[in-house]
Amino acid sequence: MSRVRLENIMKRYGDETAVDDISLEVQDGEFVTFVGPSGCGKSTTMETVAGLTQPTAGRVYIGDDDVTDLAPKDRGVAMVFQNIALFPHMDVYENISFGLRLRKYDDEEVRQRVEEAADIVQLEGMLDRMPKEMSGGQQQRVGIARAIVRNPDVFLMDEPLANLDAKLRVHMRTELQRLQRELDATVIYVTHDQAEAMTMSNRIAVLNDGRLQQIAPPLVCYNEPTNLFVAGFIGSPSMNFVEGTLVEGGLEMTNFTVALDPSRLPDAAVGDAVTLGIRPEDVHLSSYAESLASSTDRIDARTDVLEPMGDEVFVYLLLSEAATGSMEQDPAASPNQLLMSVTPDTEIEAGQDVDVVLDRSKIHLFDTATGDALVHGITDLPDREPGTTPTEADS
Amino acid sequence: MTDPTAPTDPNDTGGIDDAGGGPPRDPTLRRPDGGTTALEDDRDAELDRGPFQRWVANSISHPERVYRAMFYVAAIFFLVTTLFPFYWLLMVALTPEGQLQDIVFTPNGFNPSAFVEVFEVIPFHVYMFNSFVIALASTVVVLVIASLAGYAFGRLEFPGRTPLMLLVLVISFFPPAAFFIPLNDLFNTSFVFLEPITGDGTLYNTPFALVTPLSAIFMPLAIFILTTFYGQIPDGLEDAARVEGTTRLGALFRVIIPLSAPGVATAGVLTFIAVYNEFFFSFLMTDGQPENWAPILDGILAYQGQYEVLYNLMAAASILGVIPVAILVVIAQEKIVSGLTAGALKE
Repeated sequence: MSRVRLENIMKRYGDETAVDDISLEVQDGEFVTFVGPSGCGKSTTMETVAGLTQPTAGRVYIGDDDVTDLAPKDRGVAMVFQNIALFPHMDVYENISFGLRLRKYDDEEVRQRVEEAADIVQLEGMLDRMPKEMSGGQQQRVGIARAIVRNPDVFLMDEPLANLDAKLRVHMRTELQRLQRELDATVIYVTHDQAEAMTMSNRIAVLNDGRLQQIAPPLVCYNEPTNLFVAGFIGSPSMNFVEGTLVEGGLEMTNFTVALDPSRLPDAAVGDAVTLGIRPEDVHLSSYAESLASSTDRIDARTDVLEPMGDEVFVYLLLSEAATGSMEQDPAASPNQLLMSVTPDTEIEAGQDVDVVLDRSKIHLFDTATGDALVHGITDLPDREPGTTPTEADS
Repeated sequence: MTDPTAPTDPNDTGGIDDAGGGPPRDPTLRRPDGGTTALEDDRDAELDRGPFQRWVANSISHPERVYRAMFYVAAIFFLVTTLFPFYWLLMVALTPEGQLQDIVFTPNGFNPSAFVEVFEVIPFHVYMFNSFVIALASTVVVLVIASLAGYAFGRLEFPGRTPLMLLVLVISFFPPAAFFIPLNDLFNTSFVFLEPITGDGTLYNTPFALVTPLSAIFMPLAIFILTTFYGQIPDGLEDAARVEGTTRLGALFRVIIPLSAPGVATAGVLTFIAVYNEFFFSFLMTDGQPENWAPILDGILAYQGQYEVLYNLMAAASILGVIPVAILVVIAQEKIVSGLTAGALKE
């Protein structure tokens, strides 16, 4: 059994709270990614699992055992580090076999297991090299081999790909996934790169300010974010947010109004401040409106900047005549701007007046005050129940 | 900007044509009007100066020659001041007894047997062995304790770290003489529990009487050196070692110390040499008898009898006494250099 369970983990450094009451459970064989901005406590949380950091309060369980007070070496975990952390004074064989030799396995078995591990990460024939003679990718593979050779209950990976170049990172991403499937291992993976989080994980745990925001499968985090933070953090480019106020029959914002029936919203009433969230790919040119099941009224806009990415084009839209592109504000957060993504064959140019519509089924509403999600998708069919309420963070 | 040495010619345009751009002119080139070029390479023309002034001007324009000259002067000065005493020791040692007056640059005679005689007159090898053991033991004690202290000071955050570090620094400034009387008193006090080890229960006339105070006195320096080195080892390596199965101490000895080999070697060599060369406690903490762990110092002084002083043997013994340290430094230097090149930390 190699479940990992965190119970009300809390870590304070003086007055700073790095990790604030995190509880979660990682199932046997599951790949869970901790993701969040720098300083959100994701690495600290992982270190409490490894035993490198002692939590101020809370318990850590691996399998059925309470390991909170155990030394790292007694927890049956293996860790892959961002800075690779190979022992520079040992060759690859000594690095990989370090843990086994400490545990006094006999030489024959050590040799056999090291060779197996080296096979898995494709390091055959490099066992007598020194770490500094290897490329970054090879070094990190040694780091992974060092982790798997001990056959640990839980793998902890602290941004293992962050120091590799972009191409190698994508390659190692697939290798890690293949490895995890082969070993059927429980993996906790820390990253700030949401692409890694989205592609590799069974579930994503989004952290911010030391708190767990949401733990759910990647697409649930993407489609049904529990709050403004998750909505803004997951997805690249970020979701558009427009602040508005609920009025009778709609949500009124500075530049446009979305018709809806406030009484259908749970936990919100007329007069409440509500933030509308819409992803760039759910903003469409009005000519496209017919193909949507349900779209909002047309919104007048002028294109500001185009960013052709090859497979799509990001279009920054200015909603009000008065507003010019403000450099000071995050475009996604400004009330006068919208980011739209269109296919590259769309005929559009900078400074052009366009009409856009929003896909109503993809509109998210958040309580501006608390940041909590109110509803995902306001198709607003008469008999339809309000959108599903967000799944609870705990599972 | 005209050349003061050039004859003033009313037809001379003042070298203005030459001042603008254009490649540097060949200085041997004469102007069509017979004058010399006023400017060459944008530098002022040579003034008519005396030899010293010329030398100064030359030095200013070619400072690297002065630096090289200064390097040779300094190097020769230090070589002479450090090596001449050895040379002179050798001359004294080689001079037969009785002809020891007026040795200037050559020995008065040739008597290499003095290097054998030193062991015949007194058991000098025993003194050397004593010194070696005392220095080695102190070095081991210092390295072990200073490693633990260096780990704590260099890698751990704990309240009172800075005051403690300062305290270590302050203690290292105390003159050894301040410790002598209480220590001598302590080492001459009989403790029952020491009786099985030292016979009479005191530490006087045992290596402990030297190793203990000397380790303590040279400890702060080692702590500072090791704190710096251990503090520079990336946290990730220690974390990795701990996850792989070591304790904190295990990580210190298996990862941090091997990676800090140059620092450990430096601290070790400095401690060894300092203890080996130490005079004050070495002179006072034993009764000077070789069987009572008297160090080299007492050995050299033992050639000084009541009626005669065997200067040639003292010189020979001094040279022999230097040999272990010289060997150690040569070996350690290699280690330090190899440690520096091998310690390729990629973080």
